[in-house]
Amino acid sequence: MRSYFFVVGGFFMMLQGCRELYNPEVFAENLGILVVEGYLDTEGNPSQLKISRTVPLSYDSIASPESGALVALSSDSGESFQLQEISPGLYQFEKDIDEESRYRLEIVLSNGDRYESLELKPIRTPEILEAGFVKDEDGVEIFVNTQGNEQADDFLWTYDETWIFRPYTQVGYIFDPMINDVRDRKEVEQIYTCYKTEPNPGILLESSSRFQDQVVFRQTITEIPTGNERLQARYSILISQMAIPSDAVAFWETLKRNTEDIGSIFSPLPSLISGNIVSVDGDKQVVGQVNLGVVRQHRLYIDREEISPWPYSNEIFFGCVVGPEPILIGTIEIFQYFGSGAYLPAQAFMGDGPVPAPGILGYYPTEVRCGDCTLYADITKPDFWEDE
Amino acid sequence: MNIFTRGILLILCLVSGLSYAQQTPNRISGFYPGVPFERFMEKIEEETTYRFFFKESDIKDLTVNLQANNDKLEDVLSQIFLPTDLKFSISKTGEVFISKGQKLTVDFPDSFFAQNEENQSEGMTSAQDEFVRNRRYVIGVPSGEGTTAKIRGQVLSLENSKPIQGAIVYDKITQAQTITNPEGRYELTVPKGNQTILIQNIGGYTEQRLVTIQGDGELNMSIGEGVFSLSEVVVRSGALTNISRPEMGVQSLSVQQMRKLPSVMGEVDILKGILTMPGVNTAGEASVGFNVRGGAADQNLILYDQNTLFNPSHLFGFFSSVNSDMVQGVELYKAGIPANLGGRLSSVLQVTPKLGRTDKIGGSGGIGPLTSRLSVEGPIGSKTTFIVGARMTYSDWLLDYLEDKADIGASRAFFADFNGTIQHQLNEKNILRFTGYYSEDEFQFDPDTVYSYSNQNFALSWTHYFNDQVEATFSAGQDGYDFQVQGEDNPLNSYRYNFDIRQRFVKAQFRQEKGDRHIFSYGIHSIWYDLNPGEIAPFGAESIVIPDDVAAEKALETSLFFGDEFEINEKLTVTGGLRYNLYGYFGPQTLPEYAPGQPNLPENIIGEKNYASGELAKSYHGPEFRFSGRYALTNWSSIKGGVNTMRQNIHLMSNSSVMTPTDTWKLSDPFIKPQRGIQYGLGYFHNLKNNSVEFSAEVYYRTMENLLDYRSGAKIVLNDRIEQDVLVTKGKAYGLELFLRKSTGKLNGSVAYTYSRSLMQTDPSEQKEQINRSEWYPSNFDQPHNANLVLNYELSRRINTTLAAKYSTGRPVTLPVAKFEYGGSERVYFGDRNSVRIPDYFRLDFSVNLEGNHKVKKTAHGSWSFGVYNVLGRDNPYSVYYIPEEGTLQGYKLSIFAEPIPFVTYNFRF
Repeated sequence: MRSYFFVVGGFFMMLQGCRELYNPEVFAENLGILVVEGYLDTEGNPSQLKISRTVPLSYDSIASPESGALVALSSDSGESFQLQEISPGLYQFEKDIDEESRYRLEIVLSNGDRYESLELKPIRTPEILEAGFVKDEDGVEIFVNTQGNEQADDFLWTYDETWIFRPYTQVGYIFDPMINDVRDRKEVEQIYTCYKTEPNPGILLESSSRFQDQVVFRQTITEIPTGNERLQARYSILISQMAIPSDAVAFWETLKRNTEDIGSIFSPLPSLISGNIVSVDGDKQVVGQVNLGVVRQHRLYIDREEISPWPYSNEIFFGCVVGPEPILIGTIEIFQYFGSGAYLPAQAFMGDGPVPAPGILGYYPTEVRCGDCTLYADITKPDFWEDE
Repeated sequence: MNIFTRGILLILCLVSGLSYAQQTPNRISGFYPGVPFERFMEKIEEETTYRFFFKESDIKDLTVNLQANNDKLEDVLSQIFLPTDLKFSISKTGEVFISKGQKLTVDFPDSFFAQNEENQSEGMTSAQDEFVRNRRYVIGVPSGEGTTAKIRGQVLSLENSKPIQGAIVYDKITQAQTITNPEGRYELTVPKGNQTILIQNIGGYTEQRLVTIQGDGELNMSIGEGVFSLSEVVVRSGALTNISRPEMGVQSLSVQQMRKLPSVMGEVDILKGILTMPGVNTAGEASVGFNVRGGAADQNLILYDQNTLFNPSHLFGFFSSVNSDMVQGVELYKAGIPANLGGRLSSVLQVTPKLGRTDKIGGSGGIGPLTSRLSVEGPIGSKTTFIVGARMTYSDWLLDYLEDKADIGASRAFFADFNGTIQHQLNEKNILRFTGYYSEDEFQFDPDTVYSYSNQNFALSWTHYFNDQVEATFSAGQDGYDFQVQGEDNPLNSYRYNFDIRQRFVKAQFRQEKGDRHIFSYGIHSIWYDLNPGEIAPFGAESIVIPDDVAAEKALETSLFFGDEFEINEKLTVTGGLRYNLYGYFGPQTLPEYAPGQPNLPENIIGEKNYASGELAKSYHGPEFRFSGRYALTNWSSIKGGVNTMRQNIHLMSNSSVMTPTDTWKLSDPFIKPQRGIQYGLGYFHNLKNNSVEFSAEVYYRTMENLLDYRSGAKIVLNDRIEQDVLVTKGKAYGLELFLRKSTGKLNGSVAYTYSRSLMQTDPSEQKEQINRSEWYPSNFDQPHNANLVLNYELSRRINTTLAAKYSTGRPVTLPVAKFEYGGSERVYFGDRNSVRIPDYFRLDFSVNLEGNHKVKKTAHGSWSFGVYNVLGRDNPYSVYYIPEEGTLQGYKLSIFAEPIPFVTYNFRF
């Protein structure tokens, strides 16, 4: 029976394979290949073009923006539209342009290197027909429905997520150094409702011609597993839908495959990425795909009540309590606990007799990490945010 | 499981108990650890009817150091006397005469009382005769003409009376030799007079027959097939054929040899055996596809008898799809491919199926933890024999059991294969044979997606002997392969994707002897291809997936071939062959027309052309030359040279580094041209120590045209116009193969070393994309240094241990050289194609084979085989890759068998 056990173990290993960390040689040489990314909106909504350079794999940071470039979109009718650098490496385009014209993006770097795109043809992206969500035992799935047409067959979706992030407990009081005492917390001083934002890291592609009448039905945008913090209160997702030409599909698929698909036993070989940007003066390598068109967006909100029950508990609040003993007003502990900033006065203590005391006798403390959402997220409500 | 195991153990105990109860008289058993020879003789005389006669001074200092298990006295004595010059003779009545230097003649020649008898045959009864080796046969009628005579006959297996193919029959003095054909027949010209004819069966014991040649005659022989072997080798091409046959680069492997090799999960694997040969390598452990002399995996033609196996693997490549119980042997042609075979660029792997035994119904099988197999064979009447076999896995119970212990997801795997052969002898001149093969595989890694594939093959062949010189085989059959992927992730998007290929073939092949010096082989081979390159359909009523398919492809390939093996003189033999290949791609088909001189890209399409059903859309034709020659330097050494060209009209489309079950095949069309290749080779072959040590050195250089590589981001599945993604690529490969083998003695084995390179280059005229700026780059399986060691030590006749080691340079991979942010995530930028290598590969395996006792008459013969795969537990990387994890890029290496994997299998035959 012993040998059976070993054989069983062997087969298990065989199926699982064995994955180990591996960092063969550090590719320290800095190739600094130019990277260009952007989908420019043709209806005048602000859209950005990002120009950066590659960094060696050994670098901790991947930020290597390319500042000071002159970027312009020129049409076949001779018009030229400049892009403005709004932050290092980020160039903004904000112009309503003719969608029937053909365009070319021209980039002149600060060191004089010149790059340009192949001919660009704006695509009028069809509207998002519907964006919604469904809940099943695994969690919540967010989807869109849309319909392609002759001009717009392939779609690319991106999304940004924002959600209300709450600490373990609401803190109703605040230690005010001006009065050297605890007082009621004002609305503007609240630390209970913060907003956490994450851009989406994935690439979603679908070709509408695969489906009847080019209807893309229930295209999954993202899936939120049951109990995830995103749906602890109110959640918002901005879905951007862009129609792209087929050469862009090839580019994005290569990018996606090179990063996301490599690693299983039957994975395809990585392939070279290029795109539709070329070096004007010859042989400089460049990675980039720029497209023109209309970005269709849809913002969706989901409240926790809509998907209840949603069992949520966050491990970063493990060990959080309110109390257990109240800190009484007038004692030295008020300063030690709340004046030092180590604890927050979470709830009032009104005495423990059958009849509440006429005034507050003290405060139940809680650790700062359990009551202050600003440690984890942004207290400022985003401009777009709509409450129920 | 408990009850099951105990049940088996119980049955095993019963069987072995029964067999121990039998004891053949006059067999020797016992353990003699250095006892004096005199004491040994006393013991034998006590236990048997043998009586010894000897001179005391001759045997004074001789000691016996061996373990015998129901062995023949001759074998035991031969072993004891090996280091001495003592000889022995045994009379029919059991008197053993020991003499020094010269052997005593103890019996009259059998033919003493039967002079002038023309034919000598050993019937089944005389085959059992203990003295058959020392008996002198008289062949032919004395005649004054000539100094040589021709003897012919049939070599049969002693155990099951089946003809033995590929045995070498040779004369001890002149070394004149021949090889038995599939019916076990041979013909040999020898000088008249007293001669010793030796019969060497591959993987078996060398038998001898003493003959007095008076004239032409017949000598039929029954010889043991390895059960009694003292001197078995693990991997070998026939020792003498090594230096004498004109072709080079041919390797043979018998099932007995494969059985000794350590294997994954104890399942004897013909393809893994092939991998111990020089010049054969594999890109990864989970891949049954193998690479021969720098060629891709799809450039190997795998023939099961006459049938082509499109997918030779089970369970994503961990097992080969041929049941080893149903195989007689395999032969791999790395070069020197005869003119009657063709269709692939690199090699031909000929798997010869077993034929049913003629004496009685019997069978064999094996029980392992994951798989079991059973085959039954025997005669039906006197003219017909059959063999059928099945193999199946029951790994699901293991997976179920594991599911509680570890998170292996919803992985499921199942496979099975069935095959059979029926042979019917119509009369002396006509033999009919039917062969069938079917395999099925199904596996899934998650509950929603099921992969399955299946091979289906059958063939009928008719062999006709026109006369002594001319024989012909006519065959017809069909080879099929299909696979399916069924996705049920979401009822709306559920789909079913499938691929299938059918090829129907007819082949007529003639073999003609012309005089003493020519052997012609000629014929015609036609294949009709019917290929469905891919089809996706909605699955289930709710699905809104649009059905899509790539138009079916049809083609006819016809080859005419002629070959001649010409013995110019004793020293020089040449074989030459010409194969003319005609290929037509037929409608119905709609093909685009690209602007002349422009790359095959969508923007260059200027029109479209429709071809009606049966209308020729494109044809290719061209000759293939096969030439090789051997010049014998001495009796023990020769040099060989050869050049051959090959054409391949069917291509495997694969964008991953190994052969995978979902790779599809594609026929040559107006845009995808047939692959062509030429190979030059030169070799030196030398045998030492009476053929017990073989050495060979071969060099080769080959070039290949019209290979396929793919544009970046190429999509292969459901691609209507694959020519838009294919890059015309050239290849070249060269190498040196050194091979040393010791085939006898307690310690035997082989060492193989290969230096080889395999390079590719995007054709400079290719306008779509040029990989690595159209410089030469290593192919995915370019592994320059490769070494194999097989050591086999026979502790006793029943216990046999094997140690196998394999080393190779890590295969090339394409690794990231930089990173950047794109689409909100960290991305990697890959460097030049195949510019980095994964770490070197090294593995050590160990196995022990435990034979049951060797009684001929017991009801079943069982053997245990156990061992450890990857003894050192080295985590040989299969692949290296990077994935983003929590925002940063992490490198991983993936190994498949990272731990020592023990195995145990019980094999039996009855």
